[in-house]
Amino acid sequence: MDFELEWTPEQDAFRAEARAWIEQNVPRIPDHPDPANLTREEYELQRDFGRRLGAKGWLYPTMLAEYGGGGLSMELAMALEEELDRYNMPLPPYYDTGGKLGGVAILVWGTEEQKAHFLPMILRGEIRTWQLLTEPESGSDLASVRTTAIRDGDEYVVNGTKIFVGSSHGAEYSWMIVVTDADAPRHENLGWLMMPMDLPGITVEQMDLLFVGGERGAASGIKNTVYFDNVRVPAFNLVGGEGNGWKVAGTHLEIEHGLLRSAVRDDPLTERVFDYARNAKRGGRPLLEDQDVRDRLVDFYIDSEVTRLLHFRNYAWRGQGRQLTYEGAQAYLYQKRGQLSKARAVLDVMGPQALVEAPDEWAVADGHVEVHQRGSIVDQHPGGTAEIQRVIIARRLGIGRDVREEPGRLR
Amino acid sequence: MDLLLNEQQRMLQSTIQDLLRRDLTKETLVAIDAGNTDVAQGWPALASTGLLGSLVPEEHGGVGGSFSDAGVLFEELGRGPVPGAHFSSGVFAALILQECGSTDQQAAHLPAIASGDEVFAVAVTEPEYGWERGDVQVTAERTSDGYTLSGVKLHVPDATQATHLIVAARTSGESVGLFIVPANAPGVACRTLSGLSTGLGEVQLDGVAVGEDALLGDAADGWDAFERGMLKATAVLSAYQVGGLESVFQMCLEYSRTRRQFQQPIGRFQRVQDHIIDIVNHLDAARWTTYEALWKLDTGRPAEGGVHMAAALASEGYYLACNAAHDVHAGVGIVREYGLTLHTRMSRTLYHHLGSPRYHRRRLAGALGL
Repeated sequence: MDFELEWTPEQDAFRAEARAWIEQNVPRIPDHPDPANLTREEYELQRDFGRRLGAKGWLYPTMLAEYGGGGLSMELAMALEEELDRYNMPLPPYYDTGGKLGGVAILVWGTEEQKAHFLPMILRGEIRTWQLLTEPESGSDLASVRTTAIRDGDEYVVNGTKIFVGSSHGAEYSWMIVVTDADAPRHENLGWLMMPMDLPGITVEQMDLLFVGGERGAASGIKNTVYFDNVRVPAFNLVGGEGNGWKVAGTHLEIEHGLLRSAVRDDPLTERVFDYARNAKRGGRPLLEDQDVRDRLVDFYIDSEVTRLLHFRNYAWRGQGRQLTYEGAQAYLYQKRGQLSKARAVLDVMGPQALVEAPDEWAVADGHVEVHQRGSIVDQHPGGTAEIQRVIIARRLGIGRDVREEPGRLR
Repeated sequence: MDLLLNEQQRMLQSTIQDLLRRDLTKETLVAIDAGNTDVAQGWPALASTGLLGSLVPEEHGGVGGSFSDAGVLFEELGRGPVPGAHFSSGVFAALILQECGSTDQQAAHLPAIASGDEVFAVAVTEPEYGWERGDVQVTAERTSDGYTLSGVKLHVPDATQATHLIVAARTSGESVGLFIVPANAPGVACRTLSGLSTGLGEVQLDGVAVGEDALLGDAADGWDAFERGMLKATAVLSAYQVGGLESVFQMCLEYSRTRRQFQQPIGRFQRVQDHIIDIVNHLDAARWTTYEALWKLDTGRPAEGGVHMAAALASEGYYLACNAAHDVHAGVGIVREYGLTLHTRMSRTLYHHLGSPRYHRRRLAGALGL
């Protein structure tokens, strides 16, 4: 086995090229521990940078070049991500569910015309998309969605409500699951739509949530409610055919259940917490002289390391062409539960100072620690609750069943 | 980046799988557990696979394999779990000899360890149990032509199966030396402790006289070198525990499908599923930290933190997985012939071996600079 990438001279040359280009093109945006503080101007800078990355095929480097991706190997994509990471910037550099989730579903299930129409604008960064799945009455039981899309000539008429949507500063498109045939059996009644967000009848309203922020590059700041009131969308935008929406969703859900995270770096929180512990005092004595503190820091470290290794295993195995079954949901579950136990370890070590928000002078690590305290709670639910991950693991392992559940189609 | 076994490792894997199918079947392991068959009976078959020389250099008659290769072998043995001195002799003692022993001492014993002709047990711990230097209280008094060893070693794995012991003893002040002692030397008395542990014994050292050449190396203090060997052995022991975890997981998965209550397989109940998911999580946490630790040892990277992390997770995980497996199996789980209790006993026996989870966690803190 080999737990490290070995770089060939060709790959090093690519890295040097990427580094030089990024140095020239990357916008310098202040670090916002809480992505809710990203301004409109900063977001536009991110989007502009995304379009320039997209023009080179570097926004979604491993996607097919014929549709606007880079057609690059996972190794080169990793080099690219590492170079961007030097500027604390993920890839894509803003929240966009188009290339890694919805775009893959289109690639797998779309007609040639749909792929040619939708994929280039996603992969080149011309649009950013949100995902519209959860509804007020449909959370873990996602297949029970009620938003309807009724065929009327060359259009579907959409009515309904989606919640916990997207981020700040809008999106050009969304993709969503809708009921296309209310009389069909469960799982056969759904459709999957690409929805232009500028159509008449769409209202976006920011939700009032106690906690926002969280996963790096994923949940950007805020969440919205999106209302659809007799929205007429071209029938062309239904991907995978009527009644197949659940299968289409199976593709992006498969990825979201633990296959999204890149293998690029260790959790940056670890060094922040260790730094605090090395410098802090309690009762006039160095904090690290307290054996309980040292033990809790080790708990924290082990949670981070196991999460990293499980994701790394998934990343490597996908690259090596090995079929994953329960492993994605397992890594995702470990990540979610790990965030909670890490947050408690940090609270044990730091006391209530861990709860102070930036820019207060008492905030730890420029507020990153407080954002993690919040984010650890938020992280439990998106992409399926911890319990849903357990359900997936059980079905994929075949616990109590002779036939194991098949993973969603990724190609 | 390559997280698959290579061709050679898959062959090593099937060698041990054949051994378990042919010579060390579950029925045999249960008979050993019940005391109806001597653990030493499996030794010739075990030795014939060459696994005892896995970490012995070729010049001394071994294979000179990597730590990852040894991990593959011992993971398969852990699935049994196959009891006996294969780890004590072929891994722990072989590594101590390489870290602490002179060229002559290595030449004298490593070939016999690799062939299985000599069986080594490592006697470090005592009634005041622990794996730190300061826990060693057995004394080695200087005589005109050697040393006299006195005291009691306790919870020593495989002592009664051994032809030779490596004994840690205080030479002077804080210094601890390591001595090779023939198990049949006058004054040595070994017995196996009865109870939930398996294969652990007491070694009485009643004024045992050994020559100067019994001291490993020429340093009166060999503890630092011993710890280097112990660290490497720890990673292989973790692999053995990973094998045990894998086996416990498979037993539970199978049982969840075949055992029916309330007119359905018990695995349809989410409370049962949760136990099995916890087991597979313990398994994979232990597995991947262990594999990475072995890889670090093989490639000369700093491995101390990684080994301690893997050891903590493997020991805790094996212990907790057995608890969960008993929840899944209820009464059937404690029937000896079913085989789960082999793992339960082994998980308890190994929990403290080469350091408890707490020991490894605290060593990890040190390795992280905390």
